[in-house]
Amino acid sequence: MNNIKGLKTLGLLLVTYLFFNHIAKAERSLNANTTNINILMPAPFADSTSGLVKEFNTTNKGNIRINVTRGPLETEAVSDLAISTLLLGENQYDILLVDITWLAKYAAADWLEPLDKYIPVGDWKRLAHGARLGNDYNNKIYRWPLVSDMGLLYWRKDLMDSPPKTPEELLTIASKLKKDGKVKYGYVWQGRQYEGLSCVFVEVLAGFGGSWLDKSLNPNLDSDQSIEAANWMLSLIESGASPKSVTNFAETEVLQVFEAGDAAFMRNWPYAWSELHKSDSQIKGKVGVTSMVSILPGNQASTLGSWGFSILKLSRNTKEAYQVIRFLTSEKAQRELFLKNGYTPTSRNLFKDQLLQQHSEILPYLEKALSITKGRPQTPLYAQISNVLQTELSSLLTKQKSTIEAMKSANKKTIDILSSAGKKK
Amino acid sequence: MNIFYLLPALTLITITFGLPIIRYFWISFHASSLLTGLEYIPNYGSNWLRIIGDDRFWRDTIQTLRFTGVSVSIELIIAILIALLLNQKLRGRGVIRAISFLPWALPTAVMALGWRWIFNSPYGPIDQLLNLFGFASLNILSEPRLSWIGTVLADVWKTSPFISLILLAGLQTIPNDLYEAFILEGGTKRQAFFRITLPLLEPYILVSLLFRVAQAFGVFDLIQVMTGGGPAGSTESLAGYAYLNAMRFLDFGYSATIIVFSFIVLILVCLIGWITISNSKRILSS
Repeated sequence: MNNIKGLKTLGLLLVTYLFFNHIAKAERSLNANTTNINILMPAPFADSTSGLVKEFNTTNKGNIRINVTRGPLETEAVSDLAISTLLLGENQYDILLVDITWLAKYAAADWLEPLDKYIPVGDWKRLAHGARLGNDYNNKIYRWPLVSDMGLLYWRKDLMDSPPKTPEELLTIASKLKKDGKVKYGYVWQGRQYEGLSCVFVEVLAGFGGSWLDKSLNPNLDSDQSIEAANWMLSLIESGASPKSVTNFAETEVLQVFEAGDAAFMRNWPYAWSELHKSDSQIKGKVGVTSMVSILPGNQASTLGSWGFSILKLSRNTKEAYQVIRFLTSEKAQRELFLKNGYTPTSRNLFKDQLLQQHSEILPYLEKALSITKGRPQTPLYAQISNVLQTELSSLLTKQKSTIEAMKSANKKTIDILSSAGKKK
Repeated sequence: MNIFYLLPALTLITITFGLPIIRYFWISFHASSLLTGLEYIPNYGSNWLRIIGDDRFWRDTIQTLRFTGVSVSIELIIAILIALLLNQKLRGRGVIRAISFLPWALPTAVMALGWRWIFNSPYGPIDQLLNLFGFASLNILSEPRLSWIGTVLADVWKTSPFISLILLAGLQTIPNDLYEAFILEGGTKRQAFFRITLPLLEPYILVSLLFRVAQAFGVFDLIQVMTGGGPAGSTESLAGYAYLNAMRFLDFGYSATIIVFSFIVLILVCLIGWITISNSKRILSS
């Protein structure tokens, strides 16, 4: 009896499946001429580009349709999601919005389609200097930038006349303002053990005249400059210029302190500007923007962030995908994203645009910062060496190790990681 | 003949549990990373040699064991108290029970974020209170010697209700007659707890410990959200290290080795626990 019942259920399931399969097929043949382009983006980008996507889908109705997957909020969670589908070999997405630190890794894993053959020669040159960086690996372009992103030093105009230029000045002004009770904290920055700490260190290190890896990819983390830079970061905490709690501060915490008017300086990305000028901000109109301090004026640097679109190798519609990318990164789109969301443009022209300049007073500073950007090492092993640097910096900032000990250990571990890779190649 | 009835369950367990473990074991004897083009190339145990010399792995093992031991012990004590309390005939018992299980129902990532803000300095409530009474900020999550305690507190808050739920079920199976007879014979309430409640609760305690130890040993999301393994790597768990190697470094061979190794450590821990418990029982009963 039971067997017959089971068979009946199975039969019913089969019929249902065939029925829905048929409907799906019919629907597919209706849209047969439409090419679907699927994009995975972190949630904030999916939200900010939704207007553009809608516009594209209306004008290209029947030809190309963009479907955006609204990914997680957090950068690395998006990467986890993307990697999971890539490892399974599924062509679920045609385009991926790629963070600058993933590019070398993804390109080395052979997941990305080189874009060189699609890009007309003149087009690439229209990009600002900083926007052109970080999109290539082994002399091939794999990514078209959507938004420029670079580290900025925010300062309070109501507390000082001009921003500090050298590390020494930043430290003295910050601790003096704190001592005088003008602010609760002097200078807040990303000191938590995560990628943000590496970003902070890259620009400080450049300001001290050093570099993470040299041109032939050997680490320089135990150089005098590196140790001085790390020591300076430690002295920020020890002198009271920065609170002890910076060692668990990420962007959100830092912005919260500065937004409340509790700090004189903040290291953050351009997005913070629009946050600071929302209606409930305490310090609206009192904020200035500059680049990170340096010992010699010529060494000033801004760590390069930036997101861009890459086409995945598994995509069957690379041509259409490229068309979509260029639409979403067109000057018109950049203008809209800057006015609405404060996304830093990537085209040189737009920094000279009168309308944009009127809209935001920081455009010239963004342009300047974009001209002195400093990239993070471009190696497929970046995640490993950055993890080493973060952990060692975190241990010296929380006084688990002396500066020299930590930087020497960081240098040695970095050599180990890079050389184990070199041996096998 | 009866063994055939077990087949569906056995197949399910083999597919969902046995095969992945075997696969991980197999991967752990291969190099599979960006350098091999993500192909599996046999490397004859060099992952295992590497793990033995990997200070970070051993530090993470100790940290994971510390986290598991301390949080599960505290949870057990708190859970017994909660279960005893909830077993009383109180007015509005249903509501109290529901409320006390709320932490368990919350998604870990959400509550971990909540705890990160509670410990936030200077705006978190703990810091605000300390400052209000003139104490200096504690900065729990910024201090390598303290931050693991922060993660333990959050874990205790979240998972004590789980143990108390199991213990409460156990408490309700103990007939009241036993207590009545015990008191009638002149025993005190305290003695009743140690002579009747605890011994009869033992199987429930063991089950909940088994669940919790295995779960706490694989802790990932809580720590990832609260500290990201920092500061100075002091809160990194084995699962976190395995995750880093697989998803961030794309070094699947080594990640699999970490997972298999921690699987072995977990089995060892459970074995030692089991032997200790059965030994102490033998001593007690003799």
